[in-house]
Amino acid sequence: MATNPMEQFQVRKIGPEIEISGINLSFTNSSLFMVISAVLILILLLFGTREKKLIPGKIQLISEMLYNFISKMISDTAGQKAKPFFPFIFSLFVFILFCNMVGMLPYSFTVTSHIIVTLTFALFIFIGVTILGFVMHGFKYLKIFVPSGVPIVLLPIISIIEIISYLSRPISLSVRLFANMMAGHTMLKVFGGFVISLGLIGGWLPLSFSVALTGLEILVAFLQAYVFAILTCIYLNDALNLHH
Amino acid sequence: MSDLEDLKTRLKIAKSKLQKDKTQNADKKGVFLGNAFKLGTELVAAVIVGTIIGFILDNWFGTKPILIIVFFLFGAAAGITNVIKAARKMQRDIK
Repeated sequence: MATNPMEQFQVRKIGPEIEISGINLSFTNSSLFMVISAVLILILLLFGTREKKLIPGKIQLISEMLYNFISKMISDTAGQKAKPFFPFIFSLFVFILFCNMVGMLPYSFTVTSHIIVTLTFALFIFIGVTILGFVMHGFKYLKIFVPSGVPIVLLPIISIIEIISYLSRPISLSVRLFANMMAGHTMLKVFGGFVISLGLIGGWLPLSFSVALTGLEILVAFLQAYVFAILTCIYLNDALNLHH
Repeated sequence: MSDLEDLKTRLKIAKSKLQKDKTQNADKKGVFLGNAFKLGTELVAAVIVGTIIGFILDNWFGTKPILIIVFFLFGAAAGITNVIKAARKMQRDIK
């Protein structure tokens, strides 16, 4: 019986060890669950769009709702200019959502509870948005570090603060997702351990906590994917529409 | 008797209104929770980034404790401006 609550986050390799020029590229349980999430998304969307009925079935309804949800989110937060980025934000949201949700199943592995995964997403977005900003506006993009209406004396200090706040974006984006997923799953495991150790007499209280926490965790899993996607939209908006 | 009838219908209308408000609030609750998570990490992340920048610059210039302190304070300021900006945006969204 595994009683260590952190054991569920251990990355183990599956199959042979693959090493290419000093980089370990072995297939791990983390990669396995990423593949599972991707395959589930593919199945859902392929089946959802196969029969285009006027009155949609359940699967078609789910995929259409996903589409509408993201489409509305992008137009609400980033405007019409961000429409070309719809595929990127859609895949980002759906992938994180499925990774979180697959992680809620017992005996599964939560890919997003590792900071390296979330930081990769966040840095990809951060670097992409910065390049996009420079491509769209040239060196005028640096204006986001110089807010309008600031006295000259204060300008150096404000600029440093603005630069730090810009650089903190990938950190806050990645730490939020990672910390929420890891804390939630650790808590579930700890309460699960209490059920075992308190036995038939006292185990009902932590069991009921566990049930309540599972509900909360499903909410958090959805919410974190949503927050990740909506913040990507907000950063895109900053890069596309310079208004300072 | 007619007074009682009148009260009954009015109660019904008020109750249905209450129900509507409740369901709308439940929809928004998720967004509020997301915003709460956002504010917390935003404040911390800026402080971390500021401190890291101070640490790196200290190593470059060999001015060990000074820049890390200065940039820690800058980071804290950046975190607070982040939170103020996010809160302003939330207020605009609510209106």
